[in-house]
Amino acid sequence: MNWTRFFIAFIAAFIFLFVFGFLWYGTLMQGAHHEVPTLLRPEADFKSYFGWLILGHIVMAFFFTLLCARYVPTGCPGAGALLGTLVGLVYAGPHLISFAVQPLTAKIVSGWIVGAVIQFAVAGAIIGAIYKPGARKTT
Amino acid sequence: MKKFILAFIAAYIFLFVWGWLLNGVLLKDVYAETPNLWRPQSEMMSLFHWILLGQALIVFAFVMIYVSGFAGGGVIAGVRLGILLEIAAIGMRLGFYAVQPIPGKLLLYGSMSGLIEMIIVGAIVGAIYKPAATQTP
Repeated sequence: MNWTRFFIAFIAAFIFLFVFGFLWYGTLMQGAHHEVPTLLRPEADFKSYFGWLILGHIVMAFFFTLLCARYVPTGCPGAGALLGTLVGLVYAGPHLISFAVQPLTAKIVSGWIVGAVIQFAVAGAIIGAIYKPGARKTT
Repeated sequence: MKKFILAFIAAYIFLFVWGWLLNGVLLKDVYAETPNLWRPQSEMMSLFHWILLGQALIVFAFVMIYVSGFAGGGVIAGVRLGILLEIAAIGMRLGFYAVQPIPGKLLLYGSMSGLIEMIIVGAIVGAIYKPAATQTP
């Protein structure tokens, strides 16, 4: 494992996942989320839980990068994007289940599913482009 | 293809039974503490097909990842994939915990059970699916 490349890929993935999450879920979908206010923490409450959001993204980025490094050991944006798409679909499953058990709207769930697939596909491509185990010469 | 379908069906059956046992029986009282977060029982039943579809999607995508990048490693590779996917999913759950008023213990139980669930799903898929290359000399 090329840990230098891994660390750079992890940081890039974290930044992308966080920025995309803010833009997609926090900005584009803000109106849709406000249709179900009982399912969301109040603004002040959310601020005090913000640390959990950051920790969640760190965990997500770290283990997704690890998964990419194992899945695409040679490093390749295309293969990383494919893995990311499949991972996005794994996480889309629980969103469909949430729709059945939580009073979410179809618009919210659709947005979450599309968002998850795009988010992980792009993150996978970024990791695939950065992580190259062969970049460091070892004997 | 036959092994793919077998692995899918076996993992799906496990996921369905595990999900029912955990969410429908063991954690029933925990869910009851936050009724405003959940649909009424009758409404859930009318949307039950989305649960079936969601579980099918999880298993299908899991088997696809295993087949295209981990096949040949057997049970260990399946378990490893399950652990990596689930810990990343725990990260996602932490994100949901920050925005939704979910009880902390539900997050904890959900994450612990999710990890066990994906380890077993990985073991099932790894035990059943064998790539064609290892079947032919």
